[in-house]
Amino acid sequence: MYGGGGYDGGGGNANSLFSGGGFMPSQSTNAVEGSGGGGFPKSRNAQTLLPLTIKQIMDASQTNDDKSNFAVNGMEVSTVRLVGRMFNKVDRVTDVSFTLDDGTGRIHVNRWENDSTDTKEMNNINDGDYVIVNGGLKGFQGKRQVVAYSARPVTNFNDVTHHFLHCIHVHLELTRSKPQGKANTATGTPNQAMLRDGMAYNQGSLPNQASTFSAPQNTGSASDISKLVLSVFHDPTVMNDEHGISVDYVSKRLNLPEDAVRKIIQEEYEKGHLYATIDDHHYKSTMNG
Amino acid sequence: MDTSGPAAFVNGEILNMYVGRRVRTVVQAQREEGGLLIGQSTDGHQLTIKGASGAPMLRYVEIIGIAESNQTIRAEVCTDFGENFDPAPFNGLCKLANGQMKDMFL
Repeated sequence: MYGGGGYDGGGGNANSLFSGGGFMPSQSTNAVEGSGGGGFPKSRNAQTLLPLTIKQIMDASQTNDDKSNFAVNGMEVSTVRLVGRMFNKVDRVTDVSFTLDDGTGRIHVNRWENDSTDTKEMNNINDGDYVIVNGGLKGFQGKRQVVAYSARPVTNFNDVTHHFLHCIHVHLELTRSKPQGKANTATGTPNQAMLRDGMAYNQGSLPNQASTFSAPQNTGSASDISKLVLSVFHDPTVMNDEHGISVDYVSKRLNLPEDAVRKIIQEEYEKGHLYATIDDHHYKSTMNG
Repeated sequence: MDTSGPAAFVNGEILNMYVGRRVRTVVQAQREEGGLLIGQSTDGHQLTIKGASGAPMLRYVEIIGIAESNQTIRAEVCTDFGENFDPAPFNGLCKLANGQMKDMFL
């Protein structure tokens, strides 16, 4: 398909180009929006490729400042991946437009043909075909549409199932109340000391198996306990407290032994997720600092 | 008949929630009886598909159409999903798409 470009890894298709390692979009600091002036967090998150259903796009709210920007789950969206069937393909000299129907809705897609590779790619797909579209979400004359960066035929139909499961996964990841953002990936491997402390709560799962699908309370690994501790610090009422909270408070609130909590707080402190406030017993999250 | 409306992901069991409405499912084609395709849904039910004669046997076929009863679909579009389609994740997807994640789909 790509004439020696080597992009198409046999069924991997668009995956190889855009999301190879299975990155999750990092969570915006305020996952639940709608308050505080209605401004959506603007960051490079907006550049993240989000797999979405067309229904989600149609339900997306428009951010206030600019009518051409959209937010899904409180996160600004600009680049999306859609998988659906192609209809009403219209070839023009400089571009191809078509309608994409993914079963949840329909959206207009435009693909500019800048060079012969683009033309070749678009010749590959026709009405009725399943295609994977990666592109920018735009508002144009009051309608939502996608300007495609790539549009490729689905060759392995498990990709269709996978796409929708991926949509669900990302949606859950973004809506779950877990505001520590990139800290998740950073706390992937708990050290030995933490592991030992974590044993009491560890249900036998491997420490790294804190799968993104499972709720924190299901897998009792050490990193989950630090998530739990951080979640106390990220409680909005706590975030607003200038002096932060004491180790004792966290321990009581989570009903966990104080020395275990202290150790985790120390860990997070060393990682830069927490800082000491009035004394060595009070800490506050570095988020929104 | 509205063919542009959304199609609900269904397996054999969920099909009865959508009688009279547009659905999409994947069946493994088993045999043809008088122009009707008999296929096995991803959760093991026997479904009868109208308007899908000529489907390749033993392969997975996606059916988009109207649910006529809890085991009959009138097909509008059939797509050959091949032999290597994995029915289990699709079945899981059907459950999620009609359960807690319904807002994302319908």
